[in-house]
Amino acid sequence: MRILTKTSLYYLLVSFIVFLMGGIAYYNIMQGEIYDEVDDQLFTDKENILTYIRRTNQLPHVTSGVTETILVKEATNSTPVLESLTDTLIYSSYDEEEIPYRRLTFTAYQDGKAYQYTIMKSVMDFDDLFESTVFALGWTFLMLLIGLVAVNYSINKYTWRNFYDTLGKVKKYSLSQHGPLQLKKSETTEFQELNKVLKAMTDKIHSDYLNLKEFTENVSHEIQTPLAIVNSKLELFMQSDNLTSTQAKLLEDMHNSVSRLARLNKSLILLTRIGNQEFKENEDVALHDLLTEQTEQLQEMIEMRGLTLSLNLTAPVYVRMNRGLAEILVSNLLINAIQHNQLNGSITITLEPEKLCLQNTGEALQGATENFFSRFVSGSNKPGSLGIGLALVSKICSVYTIHPTYTYHNGLHILCLLFPLKSR
Amino acid sequence: MRILIIEDEQDLNASIATYLKQDGYTCDVAFDFKEASLMIADIPYTCVLVDLNLPHGNGLDIVRLLKENTPETGIIIISAKNALDDRISGLEIGADDYLTKPFHLSELNARVKSVIRRRSFNGHKTVRVGALEVFPEAAEVQVNGAKLTLTKKEYDLLLYFLSNRNRVLTKDSIAEHLWGDHVEALDSLDFVYTHIKNLRRKIMDAGGEDHIQTVYGLGYKFVSE
Repeated sequence: MRILTKTSLYYLLVSFIVFLMGGIAYYNIMQGEIYDEVDDQLFTDKENILTYIRRTNQLPHVTSGVTETILVKEATNSTPVLESLTDTLIYSSYDEEEIPYRRLTFTAYQDGKAYQYTIMKSVMDFDDLFESTVFALGWTFLMLLIGLVAVNYSINKYTWRNFYDTLGKVKKYSLSQHGPLQLKKSETTEFQELNKVLKAMTDKIHSDYLNLKEFTENVSHEIQTPLAIVNSKLELFMQSDNLTSTQAKLLEDMHNSVSRLARLNKSLILLTRIGNQEFKENEDVALHDLLTEQTEQLQEMIEMRGLTLSLNLTAPVYVRMNRGLAEILVSNLLINAIQHNQLNGSITITLEPEKLCLQNTGEALQGATENFFSRFVSGSNKPGSLGIGLALVSKICSVYTIHPTYTYHNGLHILCLLFPLKSR
Repeated sequence: MRILIIEDEQDLNASIATYLKQDGYTCDVAFDFKEASLMIADIPYTCVLVDLNLPHGNGLDIVRLLKENTPETGIIIISAKNALDDRISGLEIGADDYLTKPFHLSELNARVKSVIRRRSFNGHKTVRVGALEVFPEAAEVQVNGAKLTLTKKEYDLLLYFLSNRNRVLTKDSIAEHLWGDHVEALDSLDFVYTHIKNLRRKIMDAGGEDHIQTVYGLGYKFVSE
């Protein structure tokens, strides 16, 4: 939930409670006030009537029965009502509803004779009052709501615009992109501080990243020469006569390790170079031709392991990428399918306009499939397997926004590359 | 035949020189651009091995100088950079071959032989060992004058052996020579064994002698007196 929606909702909730309580209080106060007023009028009338009788010794005229506001009758009870204030409802034929009245009953004496007076005053219809209150408050509430939305919208647009700009940039920020984070200046202190902190942080990360990258590159490149020297010296050593078998064995082991190191280093350099986007020259690579070519080259390896290869090229597929990288991609995929296979297993390659799939038999992978494309993760401890082949595949894929997927199903490793729309 | 090795890493330079000298070449060494340019101006080399990253200059300029002054010299670039651009521009301006460090000395030796063979218009066009004769131009092999049918890999293997006669060739370097980059992920050493076995059998079936020896723990050696 966005922060503005959240604050608006809280604001509305509080407003609602305040309005509800205010409404109840208003209703009660109004009701009290009206009763007070009506009662005052009733007592004033009573005083007026009593004064009139005392002064003139006559009963005042009352329009009897028509307005029904003052009723007079001779008191019949032996104990006349002195004074009583009650509520009553009288049906009004005009309004077609019962109307609440306040009624004051008292006894007046004229010439020693008791008369019972009843004065009635209509009090305001409280249902109407309630309705009016709700209506008025409802309107106010609605206006407030509209106001809130409008204010939020403008706040959203103006005050928070820099925040959302920053957020968007941080979201998109990637270490491999060149250059530090560029943030818009804000007038809000909090956002200024946020931008400052973010900038300092990303600058630090960026420079660390560059240092590390440079270090890796330098190490890989600098290691080449000593490796070449060691390799050459070992080779010269091997040419010497009279080597004992123990010495020969030692030499072989050394040579194997150095070769392995050299190959590993070569792959690392390649990874770095792909990361540095040194392969810029793209062309429409004919994947169907490349697959045919590469499978032919690997035919020997495939036959040696008794693998059955089926190559289904449904249509010519061209993908826009660097030719060298395309070759590395395809050969690594094929080698992976051959290497992590079983004796007399099978490899099925399907090339469709939108994807390339390789299925091969083989033992299930140990460990999580998410690590499948990570560096140095190999399923089995096969000697000579560097576990870097699929890391190269994944790196090349990321350069060309190709999406690699991996599943294991019914004893089959299924590796698919989904090509992006634009390169098709 | 005289070869110039231009490589600023003295240890590597010395290794190359030692290896090539054992094959009867006369080797000169240069460690930087200035030295190298002086030497190529003075002596007509059969073949020049040149590193691209040199003190005081670029190896590609040496290649250009050589092409201008002594176009008959064979040129092999040896570089730590495997950049495709370098390889292409190197070959475009006239280098005969390009080798990426680290390389096997036996591989370098084979490349040197191949370059010299291609360039020696009036020299021996065939390689002969005993009853075995190889015609590199036609990619043909004869044993006692009769044609021997070999697969592409077997032929490459034989030529590699002949280029490095009386040298120990590691299985690793053979595999790399035959399969190039594919070697790294596959246990190609078994394939090497199979190919050598087949090659030996074919030569012996055709009446040739078995020159290939297994050097315990290290690899193989093609022995010829």
